[in-house]
Amino acid sequence: MAKKKVLGCSLNLIIILAVVFLALIVISFIGGSVGALITGGEPLSIFAVHPPHPQLPAEHPFPNLPITNTMITAWISILVLFGIFFAATRKMRLVPRGLQNLVEFIYETAAKFIEDPAGKKWGRIFLPVCFTIFLFVLANAWINLLPGFETIKMNGEPLLRNANTDINVPLMLAVISFISVEYWGFKAKKARYLETFFNFRPLGLGFKQLFTGKIKAGFGGIFNGIILVVAGILEILSHFIRMVSFTFRLFGNMTAGAILSLIMIFLVPFVVPAIFYGLEAFFGFVQAMIFGGLTLGFACAAVMAEE
Amino acid sequence: MEGESVKLLAAAFAMGVGTFGPGIGIGLLGWGAMNALGRNPEARGPIMTNMILAIAFAEAIAIYALIVAILLIFVA
Repeated sequence: MAKKKVLGCSLNLIIILAVVFLALIVISFIGGSVGALITGGEPLSIFAVHPPHPQLPAEHPFPNLPITNTMITAWISILVLFGIFFAATRKMRLVPRGLQNLVEFIYETAAKFIEDPAGKKWGRIFLPVCFTIFLFVLANAWINLLPGFETIKMNGEPLLRNANTDINVPLMLAVISFISVEYWGFKAKKARYLETFFNFRPLGLGFKQLFTGKIKAGFGGIFNGIILVVAGILEILSHFIRMVSFTFRLFGNMTAGAILSLIMIFLVPFVVPAIFYGLEAFFGFVQAMIFGGLTLGFACAAVMAEE
Repeated sequence: MEGESVKLLAAAFAMGVGTFGPGIGIGLLGWGAMNALGRNPEARGPIMTNMILAIAFAEAIAIYALIVAILLIFVA
């Protein structure tokens, strides 16, 4: 009799694994802190997890130095990125192998992703900023997922913490993205880029028509012009609101992910947090892609010629 | 009502109302993606990528509500 195989294992093994996992979930839930509340007893010592105390501002592990733990993590992720790309570009071969192959694959995927909407010329200019933002956010998010990362303590404070959960890091990235987009806009359209924000020309044209006798066309022109002026003000506002939403999107997602994993570990100490760990890895990638991709999208909108 | 209970109520309210819209939005996105998938099953890859991107945008709005709730409970 040929044995049925599911996911590369025999069916019996799968059933045994499922039973073990289910038992772990149930036992850890009942034996954990929540189960202790329901049954009124003490939580079993191996399942007991302290309830999470989220702290939004970054901690200072060294009392005398103005260095926060998120800063240290950001430096580490910069070093890791630098190390990977440095190691990959030593001894370059025409036919890439190993690490060089991987890095070239990442770079080419990103280049294609950026040159698709931006075109060859602008894609080359956008690539450094968008790709660096993507890599930095991704490295920050994934370094945080190393086991035991936040458990290293120094003077009672965690020495390392996900840099994306400090609001200064997303804010800094958002400001960089904002400045780059405005710079590219000016570079592409010179002074005409200001017309995106202050478009008084149709209004002036309307007044001119009004005073030269074309009453009907003049009023129409003035009405149109006022709408365009208001649209310009809204455009200015949207450029600044963009920065705020950039900041809070990344900060909120990462903080919420961290708190969610903590709460899941608190509720069900075994098995279930692994699912949320995987979700965290996925969302770190998605958020990095969104940060880089949105910068790219706004940059494309800024340099696009208006009809 | 005491200040503490108002805080908790406000946080719960922020999450409840704030996730209402994004929930509908994510549902609409899934609906659109499923429609597209049914009509054009070969384009599974791009549809999935764009759906996940768009869902992340809709989810960001719920995240704003979450930040408000977290601030209400832990900071305010």
